[in-house]
Amino acid sequence: ITSSTCLEVLQRLVVFNPDEISVSVKECVEGVIGGTDYNQSKVNQWTASIVEHSLTHLVKQGRPFKYIVNCTIMQKSGAGLHTANSCYWDTATDGSCTVRWENRTMYCVVSVFAVAVAL
Amino acid sequence: MGESDTYHIRPNHQQKFRPAVVKECIREIVREQLSGVQYNPEEVLELTRSLADSVKDKVKNSGFDKYKLVVQVVIGEQRGQGVKMSSRCFWDADTDSYAEDVFMNASSILVPRSLPGLCPEAVLTPCLHS
Repeated sequence: ITSSTCLEVLQRLVVFNPDEISVSVKECVEGVIGGTDYNQSKVNQWTASIVEHSLTHLVKQGRPFKYIVNCTIMQKSGAGLHTANSCYWDTATDGSCTVRWENRTMYCVVSVFAVAVAL
Repeated sequence: MGESDTYHIRPNHQQKFRPAVVKECIREIVREQLSGVQYNPEEVLELTRSLADSVKDKVKNSGFDKYKLVVQVVIGEQRGQGVKMSSRCFWDADTDSYAEDVFMNASSILVPRSLPGLCPEAVLTPCLHS
């Protein structure tokens, strides 16, 4: 094992990886609302589920990060929705990723923020 | 022989994150930038970004410069649709926290949330129903 391989492995463990997170969040969303239509009485439990499952999945990876997961579900009605983030952190180790998902009747936007914990 | 350095790993009492102070910062900025403004699809993108940056700068300069901050702003047009937002966070409850504010006028709903902490926090969201 060379030292550069070691470094690669360490980096993969400690540096935020938005692609991996994107994939697992999409699966969570699909699992909770895939194939359903917007339903006012269920939307509370949907957002809570998506956020819980995503966070649990992230924490299970055992990486040294603090996480914030945010999920918005909006009924499709022609109205606009915009979100923006501004962060003051260490750009070498911290990061965020946003997953957008939609079906015929609703939009779902999930944002994940990960902040490195000093080891 | 050498000097010993003191490193502060946790904030002391004066520097502890104060949600009330941060909420007031958020409210001032929102009032300044959004009074009398109508939802305009061309301008709202820039408005959301500039609001997020302004809130971040203001909170940073209000005595929380030792904290990492995450500010999120959501602006939605009011057209009678249903919207629900939720968040969860995994952080150090001793040092980390959040503050939020909601602004509504006839055409839009704005939720700026600021999560500071040695680690940023998650903001727990209010339910926005039209």
